[in-house]
Amino acid sequence: MTKIRDTALTGIVVVSLVLTGCATNAGSGDASAAPANSGKLTWWGWTPDTPVAEQYIAAFNREYPDIKVTYKNFENVDFRTSLTPALDSGKGPDVFDLSPAGGSADEWGSYAIDVAPLAKETLGSDWESKFGASYAKQLTDSKGRQVALPLGGMAAGFIWVNQNILQEAGAAIPTDYNSWVTTCKKVTAIGKACLTMGAGGADTFPTEMYHSIANSVDPSYFIKAATGRAKWNDPEGIQVLQIFKKMKEDGIIASNVLDGGQYPLANNSFMKGDTAMVQMGFWYTQYAGANSCKNAMEAAGVSNPTCFVQLPAEFPDVAGKGKGSAYFGEVDYGLAINAESPNIAAAKTFVAWMTMSKNGQQNVANALDLLPSLQGVTPDWSTLTLANNAVQKPLIEKLIADSTATTQSRQWQATKETLDAMVVAIQQVLDPTVKMSIEDIAAGQQKSSKTSTVGVG
Amino acid sequence: MHGLGETSAMTVTTTGGGSSLLATLRAPRRGGQNRRRVIHLLPGGLAWILPGFIISVGLIYYSIFYAGYLSFFEWGGGRRPMIPVGAKNYLQILGDPIFWSAIFNTIIYFVAVFTAQVIGGVLFAAAMHSRIFLANIYKIIIVIPVVVAPATLAPAHIQVWQTDGTFNHILEGLGLGFFTQGWIGQSTTSLLVVTLVGCWGSVGFGFILYYAGMAQIDPEMLEAARIDGAGNLRILFSIVVPNLKAITVSLAILNFITALKLFDSVWLLTQGGPAHSSEFLGTMIYAETAGTSRNLGLATAMSVILIIIAISVSVIIQLRARERAPVS
Repeated sequence: MTKIRDTALTGIVVVSLVLTGCATNAGSGDASAAPANSGKLTWWGWTPDTPVAEQYIAAFNREYPDIKVTYKNFENVDFRTSLTPALDSGKGPDVFDLSPAGGSADEWGSYAIDVAPLAKETLGSDWESKFGASYAKQLTDSKGRQVALPLGGMAAGFIWVNQNILQEAGAAIPTDYNSWVTTCKKVTAIGKACLTMGAGGADTFPTEMYHSIANSVDPSYFIKAATGRAKWNDPEGIQVLQIFKKMKEDGIIASNVLDGGQYPLANNSFMKGDTAMVQMGFWYTQYAGANSCKNAMEAAGVSNPTCFVQLPAEFPDVAGKGKGSAYFGEVDYGLAINAESPNIAAAKTFVAWMTMSKNGQQNVANALDLLPSLQGVTPDWSTLTLANNAVQKPLIEKLIADSTATTQSRQWQATKETLDAMVVAIQQVLDPTVKMSIEDIAAGQQKSSKTSTVGVG
Repeated sequence: MHGLGETSAMTVTTTGGGSSLLATLRAPRRGGQNRRRVIHLLPGGLAWILPGFIISVGLIYYSIFYAGYLSFFEWGGGRRPMIPVGAKNYLQILGDPIFWSAIFNTIIYFVAVFTAQVIGGVLFAAAMHSRIFLANIYKIIIVIPVVVAPATLAPAHIQVWQTDGTFNHILEGLGLGFFTQGWIGQSTTSLLVVTLVGCWGSVGFGFILYYAGMAQIDPEMLEAARIDGAGNLRILFSIVVPNLKAITVSLAILNFITALKLFDSVWLLTQGGPAHSSEFLGTMIYAETAGTSRNLGLATAMSVILIIIAISVSVIIQLRARERAPVS
């Protein structure tokens, strides 16, 4: 019996040790560590694409060769689903992307160190004013902690067009609803789709189309409704959904809109050259580059691609009120440092260089992925080669100027519940088998939404 | 007459001998020798299984009870504060039409997949026992959907069912172009796609069990039926299928549990959409755990409800399927 008891006790001890080991594998970071010149880092993000991130890291390594950074890119939804359990289990990355949208600063900010001291040390006591308008503020949590530093901003509220397809179809870039219908008829006549959009699934990309249409109806409506000063089933909201429905019925929005999400469905369709237009934000500028467009096309499944000329275009005046969409934007994402990271010192060096150094931000500007968060930095066009410089450069320069001047936020002032309810309403409107009236759909949207208090007052 | 499971249990019970723990435990305790054997075998075996026992039972049941505890809180996970909310999470779930839609979808999925699995499994198994030409090739074809991961198959299924997909092309080829539609992207058809994909992937599993079960049926019984003039169909439905009742009951329980916790194929195909039309409890729990709106208390409350339904229905199915004792 003694032997048996000993065996049993040994088993319990072994199991306990295993469980203890599992429970204590989380690292314990030193938030006060001074920036270091060597170390190893992992960086997780849904953006930028891996080739762009590798450009950033290569430039960083020219100044800090002893800090090895490994980047891992995720699809949007996958990022959320992967990051949360990784951080919870103590196996998260050293540095991770953090968006200002949907309460992300509170969602993941608690896993991050307060980077305000790092910013103050790097840029001085007026460090917040060195960034673009309210970029730093958008990355604070509800307790006022600076949980990430802005890498760059973005804007949306416009469309991208494939000039090659339009030229082949003899079509013009649309400026209002009727010209959009005309353009789409010409495009579909040559066997291409007109506007690709992925509104299926759970992602919130379709809200950008809603926001754009809403801006055409009334530029102040979206933010008013998001912050409780208007309702989603007000006449403006109903008109937005009516326009949405009509766009599909009139062949502007492709019939496969609910087959999947914006990524990969719409992105791949546009990048394959199957579709004339797509609604994407400023980050899509990167694919205007002579090399990055090839990478994007290959990623979409095109072998030996030849770049087409993609151009930004104003969102058409779909409401017939003489205006398209005002651009809306905010900080796209910041870089947060995992408080559990054993490499906080090296992570501080990396984040400070990426977000607050002239060279790092020049790198961001040149990637044409984001609007640089540090004021006064613009792309160095002498180093950039576009698919068609003469055609694309003037339009992209205008896009940068207009995007930088944006005053309307994108998702920062919309709650997760509001964005999710909007996606469901859009899906119901676009689904031909849903027999609900537009009014009922809008009422359901209002009921499921939750007012935001962010940036109000 | 008894089913496969009962036959196996009886074999174990009657095998006896000192090597079977179960047999030893069930043996009548007539004398001191048997008691000593029980004492000798029980603790020794227990010591061997103890580590695994503690890990599996300890971790699993700890997790279940901890989930039950969490279900009374509103908690975003990690370092966020845990706010006690009483039964609010349960009331919220029970008042949520999406939850009831998910329950309805689960029932539809279970009934359809179970039916397809039983009918398809029995028919394929019977056919394979009939010495048909190239039987091994057919077996491989039937079983492949079972062994390939849903994540591998999902892109192919999307290709089949999307608006510009294979199925619509086939319909157009057959002159049924008027019937083409966006099968994945419609509220009325998204559940159908998920269910059909489930049926397609489950028939092979039914086939494996029924094929093995049919091999256990006494050939003399079949021969006797044949001598009595029974035809193939009569033998299949009056002799073979009743003998496979235990397998059918097991499949019913397994299918119901699968339907309750269904997640991977749904998420890969539709993410529960559009507009929650193909939502299941598994996708709801996942969305609540890792999606844009995160409340682990709500997610665990849904998990607790799932466990309660799974256990309750499993017990009911087993009780209903139990053969009644013959009246003396």
